[in-house]
Amino acid sequence: MKVLIPYLKRYWVNATVATVAVLVLVFATLWQPRLLQTVMEAIMANDKSTVWQDGLWLIALAVIGIIAGIINTVYSAKLALGVATDLRADLYQHVQKFAYADIETFSASNLVVRMTNDIQQVQGVVMATFQQVTRIPFLFLGGLILALITMPQQWWVILIMLVIIVAVAIVAFKQLSRLFGRTQQLIENVNTVARENLMGIRVVKSFVQEDNQIATFAKPSDELRDVTTRIGEVFAVLMPAFFLTANIAIAVAVYLVGQEATLHPTYIAAISSFTSYLSQILFAVINGSFMMTFATRAFISLKRINEVLDHAPSMTFAEGPEREVAGNITFDHVTFTYPGDDKPTLQDVSFTIAAGDMLGIVGATGSGKTTLAQLIPRLFDPDSGRVLIGGVDVRDLPEKTIRDAVAFVLQRSTLFSGTIADNLKQVQPEATSATMRRAAEIAQAAEFIERLPEAYNAPVEERSANFSGGQKQRLAITRGVIANPEILILDDATSALDAESEKLVQEALDRDLKHTTTVVIAEKISSIIRADQILVMDEGRVVGAGTHRELVANNTIYQEIYQTQKAKEGRLPA
Amino acid sequence: MKDLKIAGRYYWHYLKPYGWGFLFTAILIGISTACVVIAPTYLGRAISELTEYLKLWSNPATRGGANLADFHGTLIAYVLFYFGDASSLLIASWLLAKITAYSTGTMRIGLFRKMQRMRVQYFDQHSDGDILARYTSDLDNIFNALNQALIDVFLAIAQLIGILIMMFNQNVTLAWITMATTPVALGLAAFVMHKAAAAVDQQQTDVGALNGYINEQVTGQKVIITNGLQKDSVAGFQVHNQTVRKTAERGQIWSGILSPLLSGLSLLNTAIVIFAGSWLALNGQMSTGAALALVVVFVNYAQQYYQPIITLTSLYGMIQLAITGARRIDEVRSQPDEVRPVNGKAINGIKSELKIDDVRFSYLPGKEILHGVTIDVQKGEMVALVGPTGSGKTTVMNLLNRFYDVDSGQITIDGVDLRDLDLTQLRQTVGIVLQDPQLFTGTIADNIRFGEPTAGMDRVIDAAKQANIHDFIISLPDGYDTKVSDEQNIFSAGQKQLMSIARTILTDPRLLILDEATSNVDTVTEAKIQKAMDNVIQGRTSFVIAHRLKTILNADRIVVLQHGRIIEQGSHQELLDEHGFYAKLYRNQMVFD
Repeated sequence: MKVLIPYLKRYWVNATVATVAVLVLVFATLWQPRLLQTVMEAIMANDKSTVWQDGLWLIALAVIGIIAGIINTVYSAKLALGVATDLRADLYQHVQKFAYADIETFSASNLVVRMTNDIQQVQGVVMATFQQVTRIPFLFLGGLILALITMPQQWWVILIMLVIIVAVAIVAFKQLSRLFGRTQQLIENVNTVARENLMGIRVVKSFVQEDNQIATFAKPSDELRDVTTRIGEVFAVLMPAFFLTANIAIAVAVYLVGQEATLHPTYIAAISSFTSYLSQILFAVINGSFMMTFATRAFISLKRINEVLDHAPSMTFAEGPEREVAGNITFDHVTFTYPGDDKPTLQDVSFTIAAGDMLGIVGATGSGKTTLAQLIPRLFDPDSGRVLIGGVDVRDLPEKTIRDAVAFVLQRSTLFSGTIADNLKQVQPEATSATMRRAAEIAQAAEFIERLPEAYNAPVEERSANFSGGQKQRLAITRGVIANPEILILDDATSALDAESEKLVQEALDRDLKHTTTVVIAEKISSIIRADQILVMDEGRVVGAGTHRELVANNTIYQEIYQTQKAKEGRLPA
Repeated sequence: MKDLKIAGRYYWHYLKPYGWGFLFTAILIGISTACVVIAPTYLGRAISELTEYLKLWSNPATRGGANLADFHGTLIAYVLFYFGDASSLLIASWLLAKITAYSTGTMRIGLFRKMQRMRVQYFDQHSDGDILARYTSDLDNIFNALNQALIDVFLAIAQLIGILIMMFNQNVTLAWITMATTPVALGLAAFVMHKAAAAVDQQQTDVGALNGYINEQVTGQKVIITNGLQKDSVAGFQVHNQTVRKTAERGQIWSGILSPLLSGLSLLNTAIVIFAGSWLALNGQMSTGAALALVVVFVNYAQQYYQPIITLTSLYGMIQLAITGARRIDEVRSQPDEVRPVNGKAINGIKSELKIDDVRFSYLPGKEILHGVTIDVQKGEMVALVGPTGSGKTTVMNLLNRFYDVDSGQITIDGVDLRDLDLTQLRQTVGIVLQDPQLFTGTIADNIRFGEPTAGMDRVIDAAKQANIHDFIISLPDGYDTKVSDEQNIFSAGQKQLMSIARTILTDPRLLILDEATSNVDTVTEAKIQKAMDNVIQGRTSFVIAHRLKTILNADRIVVLQHGRIIEQGSHQELLDEHGFYAKLYRNQMVFD
């Protein structure tokens, strides 16, 4: 809740106008019965002028009510949207300060939910608060006070009614929130089965499991049906019970008025207003409890948003002017453990690669290849040891310097929606069509880009869905090389390229980016066979280093990998 | 309008069985409404009886005859009417809750059942998200509407009818006056709702764009970090965020003002009724007392009269969503089912050969994928399909299992066309291992015996051993009872692939189709999978769709497909000697010293 206060303060004018409008609205609602009463009295007294006068007042009250209602809606909407927009912007900007580890802590999809659904919830509750909720306490208190003024002797009837209603509401809504929780769970289960069957429809059909899957689906679905029936039953009892309680209270009050009619005869005239005040109290309690359940969800959302805002980015970069760094890389006894893991992913890794050289990294899945590469542009910091580029510890370099010096191409690094040129200019704002072309040629992408009708201005769809796997990778490499980085990391970035194109990419890198150090992580030996140095990784350790020939001769793990990819013995094709 | 007709048909289908329930509910709601309308008159009577009593009591002469018996009786009647209201409303809501839960339950299972019967084509042509939305948002909208709107609509209509009857009973002139503003109110409501619909549409579009942007950027956050693009990302976000602020504000305002507007109009209408009533009272032929009573009664009616209208307009959006939801689900319901031959011929394994004979096939009319493919496979042979992406390799698998049917030509097993065979038996004969091994929520054991849920543990373990995954499974703390779930990826792609192979081994199919995994598996794991595949191929007729040539060097025959035609065919060595496409592919993929 505290999170919201600064935002509400920022829009205090809107909040105030909305609240004042609500007060006017409540006043109009409570005033109307009184006015009616005077009109009635005037009719009884045959007093035409008062009838006209108060009748006009009644119309004025209605018009004031409409205007106040509209003003309230307009300013509540302005307030809610202002708060939601600013909160979302702050959240987004905060997430943009996050380091790799922070993204992994929350997971990307989770962060997306917080910025979309959760903000939506908060927006809804702010809107509802200033439209509805502020009205409830006023109506409740107004009704209560007026009821007490009308029949002070009967305070205990009101009290008993309130106690019963509130008790019923508490019991019912407690049960309801449990049932709602269960419903949520069951809906998720139902969706999981549906999703699995959608994705695995071929498996289901080929194993002829349609009927069994229907039975699997029926289980959560039937339970969901039963739980929703239970919820319906609670509501079916709840509402009539409220009304019955209120009406019994009225009957009791009237009965008591009857018993004491001879003592307080004036009370008889007050019965009808007493009745309407009691129903006002009842409505306030009912609406209040509904708002509570609604608000609970928003509070959960607010908590989730706050978690992100409270999470300080796990990494800060050195301040200072940008500087040039050379492309040589050194790992000096580096050990690294992922947050939350108990076993280090990298253990005592040391190596050096000269500027302009090519480093290959091979090893089984999970051996730490990608982790090693991620330490170079300081996506994570090591537990111990040092990572140096250009002879400087990366922790001493400003962020911009590192980002300019190191280009990291991930296996699944898609472009963002926009055009190809937009994506390239994001990395290299001064890029001309000649620069773009040169980069695309290195990545072997120029040919297919230039065959597109709009060439470099061709649109990129979300997730680069309009390009094939190989094209995506070539585009990503184009983006990687366009700014002439000192260090280029290709993390399995050529897996969808055939050997021929891959060779052409590497030759182009050799030729056109002579001073760029290239780090290549690959499953295929053929991708790194030309490297100046190859690191063989196994369970977080470097178990071999050298050229292809050296490793083939003396490294067993390298030999094992190589065996699986080597051409079959026998006649070699020409 | 067309939507309405489709939705009507859909709801008719699912709600028809509850006809008696609805009738009963309607009667109960009628009773409840009658009670609610009648009960206040008893309160009035109680007050006048009390006044009478007071009058008698105040006069010493009649004081002896004054008693509260009538008053008490009336009060009891008052409470009884509310009991009647509460109990009939309770039963009605309970009935409707049950009807809603059961009918939406049937809809949900009906949708799932339909999905299991539909042709694979539908799933290939629609995104998973779009189909899944039928379960999530569409069924949800239908449930909400049935759950909340149904009873409110019933009540509102009953209330409206009740009030109209009472009003016309009391005074026809005042009744017409009370109704006079209705067209204005409805016209205004229609105007605001129209505006709101347009504004909310725009809001949804812009919110969708914003959420899409956030999703794309944050999902690609690692790319943003590695390229240092944070500033650009924020700048792009701000544009969307501010647009949403503007359009959502409009949407919220237009959809938010309807309720205060109508409440205000109701108040205005009340004032008009008072004017008219007092004019009648002061200028009419009635006695002041009678006129006053009439005004009091009509003020009450005027206030209640708008309530059903307000309820119905506020439910409009919900009902609209339920109509759209029904239309979207009905679209799935009207899809054709898989074609199953009537009295399909029995099939018991493959006795001599499988023949693909001059098969032509297209997924979309006019875009032929296979242009006359012929492959003969003898029992026990292993045939490998090789070719670039889009050459039609995977299509052959789709045809063998009858996920799709050929356009022309035929596929036969021992001379019988696949389309004449019993579909269930055919699929039991053909086993497939897919590129992307979809596992299902449950334990590892459940997944291995997926094809035969009654299989004993010994057979599960045996299959796992043959698939080279037994050792890994027993190394897990929970062994074969380890939970598999879609969300947590505790298994690597390679391990999942091995489990899916075990799953196929267990069913012991006579014809095997293996679609090889392409990426995300390192070559050492790949070798392991290869060994498992060799085990499973042993003694069976098989097709292997190969992406890496290493796995198919021992095939009896290698068929090279390109653009839907067979361009080369033969053993590994024969194809190498041809120096053609295959030989080039082989050179590209392998490492040579």
